[in-house]
Amino acid sequence: MTGLREKILTTASNLFQTQGINSTGVDTIVAVAGTTKMTLYKYFGSKEVLILEVLKQGHLDFQNWLNDKLSNNTKQPSEKLQKLFDYIEEWVTSPDFHGVGFIKASAEFPQEDNPVHQLSSQQSQQFKQYIHHLATEANIKDAEGLSLQLSLIFEGAVQAEQMKRGSGAIKYAKTAAKILIDGASTQ
Amino acid sequence: MNNEDSDLLGSSWLIYMLAKSSNTPEGRLLSLFDILNDWLKAPNMLKHCHLSNTNHALLLSYCIAQAQALGAESPETLAEHIVLIARNAAQQNIAHPLSNSLMHAKKAANALILAQTQPPAPTQVKRAVNKPVAYSIAATLALAIGASLIWAPMLKDQQLATHARAETSDTNNSKQAVAATQPLTAQDATQMYAKFELMRQGSCQFPEVLQMPDKHKAIYLENVVAGKLPANLEDLAIANEYLEKIRCNYTPMLMAASK
Repeated sequence: MTGLREKILTTASNLFQTQGINSTGVDTIVAVAGTTKMTLYKYFGSKEVLILEVLKQGHLDFQNWLNDKLSNNTKQPSEKLQKLFDYIEEWVTSPDFHGVGFIKASAEFPQEDNPVHQLSSQQSQQFKQYIHHLATEANIKDAEGLSLQLSLIFEGAVQAEQMKRGSGAIKYAKTAAKILIDGASTQ
Repeated sequence: MNNEDSDLLGSSWLIYMLAKSSNTPEGRLLSLFDILNDWLKAPNMLKHCHLSNTNHALLLSYCIAQAQALGAESPETLAEHIVLIARNAAQQNIAHPLSNSLMHAKKAANALILAQTQPPAPTQVKRAVNKPVAYSIAATLALAIGASLIWAPMLKDQQLATHARAETSDTNNSKQAVAATQPLTAQDATQMYAKFELMRQGSCQFPEVLQMPDKHKAIYLENVVAGKLPANLEDLAIANEYLEKIRCNYTPMLMAASK
């Protein structure tokens, strides 16, 4: 039975990424997953809960992937910050990239009191905190300022790529991030 | 007030403010963040304005024109990225007024401008030398060293004085030649922009141009007064000399203007 839950989650995640969250109805999800509405509601209760679960899983997968990449390919803590945008670029330019869940969800649910919007904002903050952690490890004096600058560059580049695939925004984001990191390292 | 006017980033007044904000395209792009920052602090502004997620065509096309004027590699990408950053930062500023997000966004935008306009930082070229070639170079070097050991004592006295003079002059010349061709690193550029940025915030007294050598005049006018990035390290050193001679008063401009 857990397998069926996973299947609904994966199917919904793929459909949300490729077709948009609001444009994907529950009927489509159950049809593609080969299950029934009753089963979907049994596991998730509502479409909103399903969206929240998809976002949580997507964010967890992204953070784990990034963590593994940085831990396995760097020796010094300071290298992680320098390599961060290398791996982000690798991910954004891969054929499987369909956008970042929390950025897309935030745009589709702009109302601040909406739970999906709230979770998106929370995940955006978590990503900024992750950069803050890397900056602190790299002994950056203004880790707070740098993490805000890098997260703004990251989110802007991803939005640009979401709007126009292959825009090159992520390439320049990587160079700009290096300029900011180098500048912050000398302070 | 119609819908378009109430959207902060869609207003034609914003374009008017940007156009008169600076004499340089870089300055006009970066002013977007200052104007939004001031705007969001104004009393009752948030009651009447909002930030929509729509494509701000007017602002975008204005920013593309500025990005083209400053010679960006991909003006559309730069303009789009800057507008997105400005919108995201303004939204953060509304949600967390103490985050100072628009000023950090300005730094991020400045780095994006540099990423699209400065020449790539010099990289160390890895020479692919195969082993036989490496061995032959080593053998030639060994022969040369051997020959110099035999001939050196004979030539030593005769050449010593001349050599000492030539060495000093060669070192100076080669240092200058390297500086004249070497482009600025990202760090040099960032530091220079930080100085320009600081000067923009103050009221500055510039040295007299007439007393400067001709070469220095051009560098001084372009890289110090107009705030353009020097082309190489030699020009950077000269520009820095004059930057140090400038005296600025940093009484906040808004305060000065309100008097």
